[in-house]
Amino acid sequence: MSVFFPKAFAPPAARPHRSGAYPGTYPFDAPVLVLDRGRDGEADVAGRDDAARMAALRETVRRLERGGFDALPSSVSPLGVAAIDAVLHEGGLATGALHEILPAVGDGRDSPHDGAALAFASLCLGRFARAEDGTRRQTVPGRILWCRRAGGVFDARPYAPALAPFLDPARLILVETARADDVLWAMEEGLRCGALTAVLGEVFDTDLVATRRLQLAAEKSGVPALLLRRRGAPAATSSGVTAATTRWRVASAPSAPVRDRQGRLVEALGSPRWRLELLRNRFGDPSRADIPSWTVEWNDETGDLAVVSAPVDRSQGPPVERLVG
Amino acid sequence: MAVNAASREAGVRPGQRLADARALVPDLLTAHAEPDIDLDLLETLASWCERYTPWVAVDPLGGALVDSRLPMDATTQSVDRGPTATFGGDGGLFLDVTGCGHLFGPDTEGERAMLADLTGRLARHGFAGRAAIADTPGAAWALARFAERQGALLSPVGGHRALIASLPVEALRLDAATAETLRRLGLRLIGDLLPMPRAPLTRRFGDLLVRRLDEALGSAAEPIQPRVPAPAFRTRLAFAEPVGRAEDIAAATSRLLAALCGQFEKAGVGARRLDLALFRVDGSVRRTDIGTGQPSRDDRHLMKLFEEPLSRLDAGFGVELMMLSAMVVESFEAAQASMPMASGMGAAELATLPGFAAAQAGPVARHEDQRVVQLVDRLAQLLGAGNVVRLSPRASHLPERAVATSPAGLPAAAPGSWARVAALKGTRPTRLFACPEPIDVTAPVPDDPPMLFRWRDLAHRVVRAEGPERLVNEWWRDAPTPGDVQRNPVARDYYRIEDEDGRRFWIYRDGPFNAAADTGVTARWYLHGLCA
Repeated sequence: MSVFFPKAFAPPAARPHRSGAYPGTYPFDAPVLVLDRGRDGEADVAGRDDAARMAALRETVRRLERGGFDALPSSVSPLGVAAIDAVLHEGGLATGALHEILPAVGDGRDSPHDGAALAFASLCLGRFARAEDGTRRQTVPGRILWCRRAGGVFDARPYAPALAPFLDPARLILVETARADDVLWAMEEGLRCGALTAVLGEVFDTDLVATRRLQLAAEKSGVPALLLRRRGAPAATSSGVTAATTRWRVASAPSAPVRDRQGRLVEALGSPRWRLELLRNRFGDPSRADIPSWTVEWNDETGDLAVVSAPVDRSQGPPVERLVG
Repeated sequence: MAVNAASREAGVRPGQRLADARALVPDLLTAHAEPDIDLDLLETLASWCERYTPWVAVDPLGGALVDSRLPMDATTQSVDRGPTATFGGDGGLFLDVTGCGHLFGPDTEGERAMLADLTGRLARHGFAGRAAIADTPGAAWALARFAERQGALLSPVGGHRALIASLPVEALRLDAATAETLRRLGLRLIGDLLPMPRAPLTRRFGDLLVRRLDEALGSAAEPIQPRVPAPAFRTRLAFAEPVGRAEDIAAATSRLLAALCGQFEKAGVGARRLDLALFRVDGSVRRTDIGTGQPSRDDRHLMKLFEEPLSRLDAGFGVELMMLSAMVVESFEAAQASMPMASGMGAAELATLPGFAAAQAGPVARHEDQRVVQLVDRLAQLLGAGNVVRLSPRASHLPERAVATSPAGLPAAAPGSWARVAALKGTRPTRLFACPEPIDVTAPVPDDPPMLFRWRDLAHRVVRAEGPERLVNEWWRDAPTPGDVQRNPVARDYYRIEDEDGRRFWIYRDGPFNAAADTGVTARWYLHGLCA
């Protein structure tokens, strides 16, 4: 366990204090603890009291990170896949955070196919909705705001019947704008409103400033935000830095051949498989050098996602973007 | 055709030949008649007159009575410059000022002051007009057009009978032929008609004369049809000095909203549609409106909706009067008292009917989080109500028709209504193209799924395929005409295919391959969607 003062939260002496400079109050006199999670199992050794203290410290850290706002206690909604949830901070996708989902590009050519990414985004939305339904005491299920730019002749809307296995399309409020900037504006309005289950935006391009705004708005209201990028980017060129808490790349993967009861091959399509890569995991284990990736299979019948093979070790590959915040 | 007062004194009459008129007045100015522009101007004037009362109507008779024999100084409001036709010197406006006079002063004083205010303002804007107030529209029309003295323009309550008795019969809004006949019979004044027995009058001149007489006297009702539906609630704010700064106008709007919401509170209603009118000093009126998905009387929320449209309004040289009207209001109580929300499949299907959805708005609206309702209003105000939608299933097997959108202000389909559609599960694409995109296909056997296809200049090798799923046109719709087949084929054979990278597509062939012989149209392949 190491103790130090992060630069941004230095005591007032180190930073001229102006009224209004700090939106809230937080204990300047207390040292800030940054915990290396599970490096050598300290938490296990320390016992139950220490576990409670750890939780309190984590909460303190979270408040500091949220700029002193009296933030809602953050929660996570698990994806439902043990192998993936184990990598994520606190075992799931954080609500009150921005998550980015990129479609993959295959073999260096720019593929417009983001069907798998869209499905994964819907799955995440569904998980957020399910987590919220468990805590909410409202008669009307929370709404999900889906913002996108209408694309004219080449437009391809998300198709509600195909999303139905992931989430109830009746919860969706679909917002279509004429300009790309309005998508971000609508998302921010939705996050500020604070009464939604989740907000999703389909964007082609974005930058650090825009995503930072979304991330802050999500942190403040505790509403999860998803950014579904329409255009994939090759990993080598790193498609711009964003402030997202997690960033996923989703590619289609060849599905398993379908066999009938006698074991003969059937001309049919099996359950869809996706290859998930967690390109960025802000609160993840900083000691990990590789990019966690899984091949998962979506089961239509049960509504479950399951890992079909062990994470692929890609540490030998060229250094790809890696941001640990 | 119309002439102005100066020409009239010189002897020029409408209907005269131009040469004759020129002989009388050598330096006569003439211009072509532009009835459309006159009508626009009259509408603008009517809009302007809404500062006095919401019940403003353009005189439906307008210029129907243009006749050289009528004294042309008898106009309610006439344009003094530029000869005009239909509405020209003869157009008129009706204002129902019942109960409006007291804003200007007590009793008759108020009405007199209002009349003076109206004519004074019109004169300042360059209009020569005459206005009269009487108990009935017919009497006011007669007085405004035919009264000799200015004093007669305000008829005391109950005094219109005596006043119009001395006016010529034309003042009864009769057609020229009837008026001419009456004159020939020696019935020159309305007073001459009053003691006459009704039955012979009707027999001789038809229904119109007696009806006009009754309307003028007030024994027959003649309601004024306002140009726009009169609002149930309205607040106004007049400024001593014209204001032009955006901040001032915004502040005034928020004051008006606060006042209006106070009225809503008392009446137990909320606004669905508000109209803000800015009366500019140059006489024009700028309007903007906002709508809400559900009745609201939260003035801060409504002000937020006004922010963006206000920024687009041009105050010109300044605004002298602002008026905020609630065009559509809905009762909160009624919304709560309507039927309880039905549940299950039947209700879900019913809910897709527009009428039923509207009827259901109440109970659902009550439970919906107000913050979401206000968010939807804000988004809809800026992006358009049609761009903020909810999705509900529609009973159609055609993929592009299976999703119905409705404004998000209305409630969504009941939870669970998508359950039936969810049975389609993986067989439908996650993205559906608005226009199916043509693809080039290599297929070994004409009726088989392709082995290779090119989409957007990229070749995809098909590894697996599933299909066909044949979707035919809805039988309850008209069969497509032969020319329409290309766009709207009779049947489509859909295949789900997976390429070597695992990407899945939803493609179709617009009809069986051998249909080419029957219809003369070769079957083509399209990509309709991207699957998960």
